[in-house]
Amino acid sequence: MSMLEVKDLHVSYGAINAVKGISFEVQQGETVALIGSNGAGKSTTLRTISGLEKAKSGSIIFQGQELTKLKPYQIVELGIAHVPEGRRVFSRMSVKENLLMGANIIKDRSKIKRDIERVYEIFPRLHERMNQQAGTLSGGEQQMLSLGRALMTSGSLLMLDEPSMGLAPILVEEIFNIIRRISEDGTSILLIEQNAFLALNTSSRAYVLETGNIIMQGKSSDLLADERIKEAYLGA
Amino acid sequence: MASFLQYLVYGLQLGSVYALLALGYTMVYGIVGMINTAHGDFLMIGALGTYFIAKLFDSVSIDGTYPMLAVGCIILIAMVMTGGIAVGVEAIAYRPLRNKPRMIALITAVGVSMFLTNFPRALPFIGPNPRPFPTLFTPKTFTVLGASITSTQIIMIILAAVTMLALDRLVAKTKMGAQMRAVSMDKDAASLMGINIDKVISITFFIGGALAAVSGICYASVYPQVEVYMGSWLGNMSFVSAVLGGIGDIRGAMLGGFILGIAQIFATAINSTFGYAVGFIILIVILLVKPAGIMGKVTIEKV
Ligand SMILES: Nc1ncnc2c1ncn2[C@@H]1O[C@H](COP(=O)(O)OP(=O)(O)O)[C@@H](O)[C@H]1O
Ligand SMILES: [Mg+2]
Repeated sequence: MSMLEVKDLHVSYGAINAVKGISFEVQQGETVALIGSNGAGKSTTLRTISGLEKAKSGSIIFQGQELTKLKPYQIVELGIAHVPEGRRVFSRMSVKENLLMGANIIKDRSKIKRDIERVYEIFPRLHERMNQQAGTLSGGEQQMLSLGRALMTSGSLLMLDEPSMGLAPILVEEIFNIIRRISEDGTSILLIEQNAFLALNTSSRAYVLETGNIIMQGKSSDLLADERIKEAYLGA
Repeated sequence: MASFLQYLVYGLQLGSVYALLALGYTMVYGIVGMINTAHGDFLMIGALGTYFIAKLFDSVSIDGTYPMLAVGCIILIAMVMTGGIAVGVEAIAYRPLRNKPRMIALITAVGVSMFLTNFPRALPFIGPNPRPFPTLFTPKTFTVLGASITSTQIIMIILAAVTMLALDRLVAKTKMGAQMRAVSMDKDAASLMGINIDKVISITFFIGGALAAVSGICYASVYPQVEVYMGSWLGNMSFVSAVLGGIGDIRGAMLGGFILGIAQIFATAINSTFGYAVGFIILIVILLVKPAGIMGKVTIEKV
């Protein structure tokens, strides 16, 4: 059974049609990549799943629930965690406070404690800096915080919007190792990337988005070998 | 010396009215990111509402004064009513514009302010005429170093300070406060944490409205006349207080309120026209010298 099923989704900003009838799915435990160049509609897709944008038509079904009429906070409660484009940490809060904001919907205090320990274990750097203001962290550290904060929501589907953006290669590798580890722990992942090589190497299946339409889909390993993909996205 | 102290007492009295109003003004700005120019009208609604609510309690009044329990009920009803109206104003007028450019919300707020003044003015049972405010508190007068201070004034000053401290703690220490700060920094990110931002904003408006009612009751208790226009000048002065203290900053709002209140009373003592102008002079000076206000920090992502 699909965990997330998007069917014929249309999204527009006024007269601009950003997403023009796309359909895709994420199975339980899978890592799925959505690749495409700048402006293809990747972020819009994630934002619509989270309820931050309104769908013009189509449906988004998560674990049997229709999401298109729900508010963002209700969608988080259903178990979708979203690491937004550009990190969006709470800059005038400490690292620890940011993580606690991630646990906003969790009532069980002992669970919050365990989860925060787990995040500190995954990102020792956040532990070292737990009292530092998030706005003063480096880009890589902010990305870790944004990811850690999303993990604190304990969602069963994690959506990542360009986690590699603006990071030094060594940090990108570190972040992607962590993403693989989170996936191995059983979390389903929907990954957005401009860096197609990275995304295809991290996912089992992928969709290629171009100006609001899905133009290709398949197993990531097949797409990695595809001539058209190589030419358009892998810079070969 | 005695007259200096006396002016200081009047300044603190007026300052506590500004401070209570500015607290709500600044919270709405800090958390929602809008200048609600209709905030002064919430004060008017609270004060005028209290006049009518007090009428309902007429049967328990003795010689125009009310038993303590009745006073408590009157104030509580006025606070809840004004807070409720503030929540309604936000939901009807401001929420649909939340993602539109700032200027649109500002213009709407000006329109809301006109509506809130002129709608009751047009109602036959309210109308434009000033009304005497009921005596809720019977003041006892004390003399300190030659200056006289009443129990009402003491209550007002303490109330403003305690309210400021309570709000400051609420925002800094509670879960609701953390949600408010998250909403103030980044509404989308706050939504992704599972925060119901509509609810947080409604609560903010409720607090602002309820405090505006308290401010209006305080004001009318020392200047006992209420009418539909009273919110405009006081709203402007509380805006100046909030900017002076650093708009968005809770402690700054109280500080700004007291500074402006004291400055106005002393300026009026020199010359009454100067008294009216001093608020605007302070506003201009602060915008030129320290635009972020006394407590304000210049932050890059400040809303
Ligand atoms: N807030 C917005 N208002 C208007 N147009 C937007 C907005 N956000 C994105 N767009 C447009 O929608 C299209 C898709 O954008 P986006 O989803 O951000 O693409 P991607 O994440 O793939 O780079 C682009 O043409 C972009 O200019
Ligand atoms: Mg994007």
